[in-house]
Amino acid sequence: MAGKIVLCRCEDVTLSDVEHSVSRGYVDIEEVKRYTGFGTGPCQGKECLGPVATALARLTGEPPGAIAPFTSRPPIAPTPLRILARDPGAHRFDDDKDE
Amino acid sequence: MARRLAGNDAVRGDAVELRIADASVRAYTEESIAAAALASGTRVMSRSLKYHRPRTFFCLEGHCSGCLVRLDGVPNLRACQAPCAHGLEVEGQNAFPSTEVDLLGAVDFLFARGLDHHTLMTGSSMLNRLANKVVRQLSGLGKLPARANTELPEVQRFDVDVCVIGGGPAGLAAAAATARAGKRTVLVDDQLRPGGSMRADPRTGRSAAESSLAAATGAGATVLARSTAVGYFPEDDGGVLVVSAPDRLYRIFARSWIWATGGYVVNLPFPENDRPGVIAARAVGRLLVDHAIVAGDKICLVEVGALADDCTALAGALTRAGAEVTRVPFENVITVRGRSWASQVDTTTGKIDCDIVAVAAIPSPASEGPRQQKCQVVLDPAAGGFRVTVDDHGQTTTPGVWACGDVTGYRGPAAAAADGARVGTNVAAA
Repeated sequence: MAGKIVLCRCEDVTLSDVEHSVSRGYVDIEEVKRYTGFGTGPCQGKECLGPVATALARLTGEPPGAIAPFTSRPPIAPTPLRILARDPGAHRFDDDKDE
Repeated sequence: MARRLAGNDAVRGDAVELRIADASVRAYTEESIAAAALASGTRVMSRSLKYHRPRTFFCLEGHCSGCLVRLDGVPNLRACQAPCAHGLEVEGQNAFPSTEVDLLGAVDFLFARGLDHHTLMTGSSMLNRLANKVVRQLSGLGKLPARANTELPEVQRFDVDVCVIGGGPAGLAAAAATARAGKRTVLVDDQLRPGGSMRADPRTGRSAAESSLAAATGAGATVLARSTAVGYFPEDDGGVLVVSAPDRLYRIFARSWIWATGGYVVNLPFPENDRPGVIAARAVGRLLVDHAIVAGDKICLVEVGALADDCTALAGALTRAGAEVTRVPFENVITVRGRSWASQVDTTTGKIDCDIVAVAAIPSPASEGPRQQKCQVVLDPAAGGFRVTVDDHGQTTTPGVWACGDVTGYRGPAAAAADGARVGTNVAAA
């Protein structure tokens, strides 16, 4: 049996998982992300977004230019919450005692 | 086996003793823990989330998840972005009883054809409850820290003309150009030492990285190392870039932004491509150029045609350092053998013994930040992913936001530096 071809090592998502997603009709990159979990691990798609999108273009026959990336949101990299604790832009709750 | 090249004590720093997976290891202060672990024979550093396949670093650039370890009681830290220090305790994670022998690895054999979690144990509600209980016990990343860290970091605000994100060849050249033109310039770089791909390419090397850094700071730019751009918040005081450093949070306000984030090294899709020992060719280059460590005795370089020149340079440097290098076109790879470490590559033209498989794929543009600033990107397989689109001057589709170097499509260190200098000059004149 052929070994696994891993596209997203954070979440162990294989090429065959992406093929399965497409065969079920989940072809938009946001759908594939939700169905397979690719791009949701510690690297947040740094390693897998390009390869998965390229595979999707091939599997769906879409021109690459028609495929959009999934939405990028902060934090771009894993960040300890304490680093953000003193950010004056951070939301403060009404019951914060040290206000 | 990986080995340190003799006669490079000056680049290694002071010798220290640390503990990696319960063994005492001699390492150096200028080495990352990941580099020291490889040089001392520690191979598997963690296990993957679902199949518990063995993992170690792939990128060595703080971007992949391969080298997440528990460091002095704190989980999920990247071994490649932590410098060695005396007495450090480094432990693997996500494995029972250890990363080398993980009983949970049975999942990988039981589900050799893959595991569809959508239909796993959903037939019976009782089995489903049981399965969910087991899965909740097994999943997750690391264990909670041994103690709470109550030290809160300082917050520092920067108001500048130009903020450059990324301290590789393009970013350092751009920052030097804008600072030289009199613009208040701050540059943030997420690595242990600025220099980016110059520290991984034998054609440029450490000296080019250091002279580019000196040129930027000499021109008056403020360079912040180990500082990661974590998000752009447009609603906050006209737009702020939040940057995280080990003991500090920076809030950066700038008139112009230059994204010089380069590209992430990525893997190529061949069977067993996630085995430890399969690492990015640029990581092999970084070990050699920046750490004077030869990653293996027999290195199989799996490459795409577009990177032939880069691979020729890397293969030459590795050969001169005493490694045996075999170059294989990606299309010819059938599979990789070796369970907890790659030991052989099967190709259409024969079997190749090796102890490192170095993968040279086109780096995927690091376009998250530009996307948060609403810059247009386009999927371009020849560019390895979603590259930022720019006009002839280097301006993106968002006013005041520019991009240069590999984030606009792979070009390599020398051409990226030239592009950075050109775009930096344009930004200063705008």
